[in-house]
Amino acid sequence: MLLKISDLHVSVGGRQILKGINLEVRAGEVHAIMGPNGSGKSTLAQVLAGREDYEVTGGSVSFEGRDLLALPAEERARAGFFLGFQYPVEIPGVNNVYLLKAALNAKRKAAGLAEVDAYEFLALIRQKMKFMQMSEAFLSRGVNEGFSGGEKKRNEILQMLVLEPKLAILDETDSGLDIDALKIVSKGVNSLRDPARAVVLVTHYQRLLDYVAPDQVHVLAGGRILKSGDKSLALELEQRGYDWLLESAVA
Amino acid sequence: MSVALRSFEAQYRERPADGLDVWRDAAMQRLVELGLPTSRDESWRYTNLRALQAQRYTAAQVAGPAATGAPADATAWLTDGGRIPSVVLVDGRLRDAAPALPEGIRVHSLRELAAREPQRVARHLGLPRDTDLRRWELLNTALFSDGLLVEVGGNADHSLCIAHVASANGTASAVHPRIIVELAPDSRATLLEHYLDTGAGTSLCNSCTQVALGAGARLEHYRVFAAGATATQIDSLDLVQQPDSSCRLYTIALGGELLRTALDARLAGAGALLESHALLVGHGSRHVDCAAVVTHAAPATQSRQSVRAIASGTSRVITNNKVIVAPGAIHADSQQSLRGMLLSPTAEIDTRPQLEIHTDEVRCAHGATTGRLDREMFFYLLSRGIDRDTAQSLLVFAFLGDVLAGMSQGAARAAIEGALITQLPDADRLKDFR
Repeated sequence: MLLKISDLHVSVGGRQILKGINLEVRAGEVHAIMGPNGSGKSTLAQVLAGREDYEVTGGSVSFEGRDLLALPAEERARAGFFLGFQYPVEIPGVNNVYLLKAALNAKRKAAGLAEVDAYEFLALIRQKMKFMQMSEAFLSRGVNEGFSGGEKKRNEILQMLVLEPKLAILDETDSGLDIDALKIVSKGVNSLRDPARAVVLVTHYQRLLDYVAPDQVHVLAGGRILKSGDKSLALELEQRGYDWLLESAVA
Repeated sequence: MSVALRSFEAQYRERPADGLDVWRDAAMQRLVELGLPTSRDESWRYTNLRALQAQRYTAAQVAGPAATGAPADATAWLTDGGRIPSVVLVDGRLRDAAPALPEGIRVHSLRELAAREPQRVARHLGLPRDTDLRRWELLNTALFSDGLLVEVGGNADHSLCIAHVASANGTASAVHPRIIVELAPDSRATLLEHYLDTGAGTSLCNSCTQVALGAGARLEHYRVFAAGATATQIDSLDLVQQPDSSCRLYTIALGGELLRTALDARLAGAGALLESHALLVGHGSRHVDCAAVVTHAAPATQSRQSVRAIASGTSRVITNNKVIVAPGAIHADSQQSLRGMLLSPTAEIDTRPQLEIHTDEVRCAHGATTGRLDREMFFYLLSRGIDRDTAQSLLVFAFLGDVLAGMSQGAARAAIEGALITQLPDADRLKDFR
């Protein structure tokens, strides 16, 4: 089991957001977590990434058998966990390439590997950038500096492709993308599909799932997973919305 | 009269006479009337000089050239490995004969000029009207033993580095270096002033630099303050700009226990432009007080001031930037951006932008913010596996980066970056970043 979330309770500022999440993700799988606004999807993604503003009030998370919640954010990343941010922050003055290189080297160091060769690294970046159809100007710019919403999301996927995480959680990476950008992002996600890795897509809409076929779909609402199923559940949600699930949960 | 002022007055009486006595007398007399500034003076509110006032200062011993402790690389640091010609002043005195310089730029020892052609120096020593705001300058006028007159003309772009080395000898010695710079109309120059320390004792450097830019002249002026950990420096920079001249000034505060810099810039001619950038680094228990008064005295003058201050440990950084738009200076355009970043709970940063506008039809913008490390940015870096110390250093460096990015002297920029990095938390991790 790559990721096992058991009865996870999380509160923010005294308010309970997650009320007992259970989720198991195996290597090689793609999961989609869907749900209405305010259901706790982003909270789940952020807590797993190690955000300190959230308080875990109960439950556990294991990642390859390790207690994920005991690790600080930077160690989670080095262990092979990746969060694609819903709103990637701009960091003027910190170069994109430098960040990627430092991130890759941090991961390599944790794995007992030597630092990446500068020349090979640049070749790798260029290859991945080409794959993601990103412009050369990216190389000289600050992290996400002046990027459009779509460029920021593409940059998240680029980082993911360079870091090759074991588990990637992509938080609404599809929102705000036009159809071409959505295809490119999907291509990036699909290229990471591998028997040794897993991807969790957090999304509002079914559209992304037309391009990245999930093995399992979960509906998160009110801080709980109300229903899980296969890809057909996403289609059903697209047609019927979330209300029928919420009603049946109350009942 | 404070102990310090009494000791300065005694030094003044004991000094050998020179051709500048009339002006020096006037300055000393005025200073004795006014006294040294205290924290009761508005522009000194944040800097307590009580310890300084109680100190009995002696004139720095003038050592022979061979005895000076100036390190061999005192000038190599900013000079692109010696490609930029440099002049070294040790304790306010010219160490060697002035170097051979290309046509169009000349430097003279003020000491020699005072003996030979005192009027060429004296015309820069008249008492200003606002003497009460310039008391340390008065002291400098009374006591400077040497310094430089730098004259720039022609059309070539000239560069010169002036290294001020204080070789404090363990006593409370004081030096008063004086630099006078004149750019002829339409001339261009890059000037680097570097203040450093080779001694270990307490020392006071009361430096004064005067810059006059002729019409259309262009100057890029780097001032790097990197004295030792126990040094006190009080610095005055007077800048006067004629029509269409432009000046890009970099004030880099990296050293000393107490550093006070005071810029007085007068945009005297229409169309003059001043860009003043400051990087102020509070480190350990350092106290940095950076005051600037920029006066728009002519139409269509422009000023851009940006200050980036960081403070760690128990340091304190104050930046007090005032823009005055004089009557008649229509279409003046000024911008001030003062930003501070606190790196420890015991550090303090005060930013004070001020505007005084005496005419209509002007554009004056100002902004001042002080905060801590941006949490969103910090978490983003952590989430990519970057460790905490490196993430902090990166964000601090990025915060200072836009000022560094504007420096056109690549070697100076690299040298300044290198020196900055050594004062950031977790310095060695950033080498790769450069």
